[in-house]
Amino acid sequence: MIAHTTERILQTVLVLLAISFIAFLLVATLGDPLTSLLPPDASIADRQDLIMRLGLDEPLLTRFLHFLNGMLHGDFGISYRTQDDIGPMIATRLPATIELAFASLLVTLFVGVPLGILCGVRPNGIISRGVMLVSIAGITLPNFVVGVLLIAIFSVHLGWFPSFGRGDTVQIGGWTTGLLTLSGWRAIILPAITLAAFQVTFVIRMLRTQLLEVGQSEHIRFARARGLSERRIWSTYAMRNALLPTITMLALQLGNVIAFSVVTEGVFAWPGIGSLFLQSIQAADVPVIAIYLIFVGAIFMIINLVVELIYPLVDPRLKRSGA
Amino acid sequence: MSEPVLKVRDLSVVLERNGRDFPVLDGVTFDIAPGEVLGLVGESGAGKSMTGIAIIDLLVPPLRRTSGTIALSGERLDQLSAKRMRRVRGKRIGFVFQDPMTSLNPVLSIGRQLTDTMRRHLPLTRGEARERAIAWLTRVGLANPPRVFAAAPHELSGGQRQRIVIALALCAEPDLLIADEPTTALDVSVQAHMLTLLRELHEETGTAMMLITHDLGVIAKMADRVAVFYAGRVIETAPTGRLIGAPLHPYTAGLMQATPAPDADGAMRVRAIPGAMPGIGALPPGCAFHPRCERAQAICREERPPLADAGGHDAACYFPLVEEVVS
Ligand SMILES: Nc1ncnc2c1ncn2[C@@H]1O[C@H](COP(=O)(O)OP(=O)(O)OP(=O)(O)O)[C@@H](O)[C@H]1O
Ligand SMILES: [Mg+2]
Repeated sequence: MIAHTTERILQTVLVLLAISFIAFLLVATLGDPLTSLLPPDASIADRQDLIMRLGLDEPLLTRFLHFLNGMLHGDFGISYRTQDDIGPMIATRLPATIELAFASLLVTLFVGVPLGILCGVRPNGIISRGVMLVSIAGITLPNFVVGVLLIAIFSVHLGWFPSFGRGDTVQIGGWTTGLLTLSGWRAIILPAITLAAFQVTFVIRMLRTQLLEVGQSEHIRFARARGLSERRIWSTYAMRNALLPTITMLALQLGNVIAFSVVTEGVFAWPGIGSLFLQSIQAADVPVIAIYLIFVGAIFMIINLVVELIYPLVDPRLKRSGA
Repeated sequence: MSEPVLKVRDLSVVLERNGRDFPVLDGVTFDIAPGEVLGLVGESGAGKSMTGIAIIDLLVPPLRRTSGTIALSGERLDQLSAKRMRRVRGKRIGFVFQDPMTSLNPVLSIGRQLTDTMRRHLPLTRGEARERAIAWLTRVGLANPPRVFAAAPHELSGGQRQRIVIALALCAEPDLLIADEPTTALDVSVQAHMLTLLRELHEETGTAMMLITHDLGVIAKMADRVAVFYAGRVIETAPTGRLIGAPLHPYTAGLMQATPAPDADGAMRVRAIPGAMPGIGALPPGCAFHPRCERAQAICREERPPLADAGGHDAACYFPLVEEVVS
C-alpha cells in the first residue's frame, strides 16, 4: 500500500516535470523576449543586460533548471504583455477561479447527486423522466451556449443577476472574496450554474445508470430477502457500489471541466485565471500561457492522484491487493 | 396434527409479455411441517426458484402472482402489507440464493452485512451484534471468525462465501429456511460439506427447510418429503423414501433414470427423457408431460390430470406407474 502510494506520487512528479519541460520549451522557442520586453529604442547595453538577467546566454538544460528552481521559489517569470511577475498575477486571480469552481461543485453536489439518486431509484417516476429529458440539453448544449442563454434570460430579460464580473469583493489577507457581499453572491450564481451544467447532467446520468444496474444485482436481491429497509438498501448497499464508477468517470471529466472554466470565465468576464489565459493567448504572452499549462497540469494530476488514493476507502476490493 | 410452518395453496404466477399473461406457476400446492425438510426438484425452468421468490413476495415485473394463499404458521403472507412483509423476510423466512459469488455485497465487510441484518430484526447493540456475528461465523464452520468478520467478500473462497450466505439467512433465527440450489455453484468436494452443514444447522435449530435442487442425490440425502415440479406445476409429492423407491409419475421415474448411477456391471448409465420441457407460453393442452410420455393416452392430451390426494403420496397422472406393478 505504502509502496504503491509512493510509486504513484513519483509518477505524478515525473509527469509534472515533463509538462514543465514542454512548457519551458514553449517559452524558450516561441516569441522573442527581447523585442517583447525592451522598448524599440533600447541600447545594446540594455539588451545585454536583459540577456544576462533572463539567462538567455546559457545552455537550454541549465535554463530549464533555473526555470524549475525559480518556480520552486515562487518565481514564475515575467509576462511579455504587462512585464509584471507572473506569480502575483496568477495569485490575484486565483481566488476568483477557486470560488467559481467551488460554487459549481456545490451546485453539482446539491443538484446532481440527489437528482441522480432519484432517477436511479425511481426511474419511471414523472420527475425522473422530466429530469432525464432536460439533462439531454445539459449534455448536448455547448457550455458557452448555456452561459449566453442564462445571461439572455436572467440578466437581460429578467434583470435578476449581473451578466459579467464578480460584484463587490472583500480583501482578507491575500485573498479577495466575492462571497461576503450580496452583489458577489448574485454575480457568481450564473457562472456557477453554467460551469456546473455539464457536471450536473453527467453525475445524474452516471448515478442513474449505476444505481439501475446495481439495483438489479443479486446481492441487492439478497439484501431485500433479508428484510433490510429500502432506505438502507439504497443509501448504503447500492450507493457504495454506484459511487466508485461515478467518481472515476467524474475525475476523468476533469479536463473538460478545466476547459469549460476557461469558456465560462470568458463568457462572464470572470476575473479568474481562465480569462487571464484567454488574454494571454490573444497577446501571444507565451510565459503566462506556459505557467497556466503547468498549473492546470498540476491540478489535474493532483486531483487524479487523490481520487486514486481514496479509492480503497470506498472499495475494500482495492485495499489489500496493493496493485 | 400440528399447524404447518408453511402452507401454499393454488399459487399461480404469470409472466406478462406484450400485454399477455403466460403462466409460470400454475396451482402450486404444498405444506411444510415444523422441522421438516421439503425438497423441490425438477428440471431447469420448472419454476422452483419462482416458487421461493413468490413466497417471500419478491417477484418483480414482468412476473406477478395472480392467485394463491401462502400461510406462515397460520398467518396469511399474501395479505400482508409491504412493510409487514419486510419484517417477515430475514426474520421469519431466511433465503439462501444459488450463487455465493454474487450474493454478497462486494464493497461491504462480512461483519457489516451480518450485523446490519441482525440489528434490523433483533434488539441488539452494536457490540452484541458483533459478538453474535462472530458466533455465527464460528457456527457455520469458518476458521478465524474475527478475520472473516473484517474481511471483504473478494478475500474469501466460494465455499466460505456460501457459509456466510447461510449465516446471513439464519442469523435472525427464522422459522423457515428456503435454500435455492445452495450447492450448485460450488465444486463437488465443497458441496458435500455444505450439505452436512445445512443438515447440522437444521437439526440444531429445528428450522423447517425448503430445499430447491435439481439433484435427486441431494434430495435423498437431505429431504423428508419431496415435491416434483414440471412446467410450473407440482406433479408428484411424497415422502422421500417412497418417491425414490416407487415413483408414481412417469416423469419422476424418468428423472431418476436420468440421474447417473452405476448399474449391475458398475458402469455409469444415464437414460435421458427424450424431448424437452415445454417453455413458457408453449404448454400443450392436457398433461404438460404427455408429448414426452410413453404411457400417454387420448385423455392425457385433452385433460389436465389433477394432483390426486392419495394420502401422502400424490401424483398428477391418469396412468401412474404403481398400477402397472399391481396388475
Ligand atoms: N424475469 C423473467 N423473465 C422471463 N422469464 C422468466 C423470468 N424469470 C423467470 N423466468 C422463467 O420462469 C420459468 C421458471 O423459472 P425458475 O427460475 O423458477 O426455474 P427453476 O426451476 O428455478 O430452474 P433452475 O433450475 O434453472 O434454477 C423459467 O422458464 C424461466 O425462464
Ligand atoms: Mg432456480
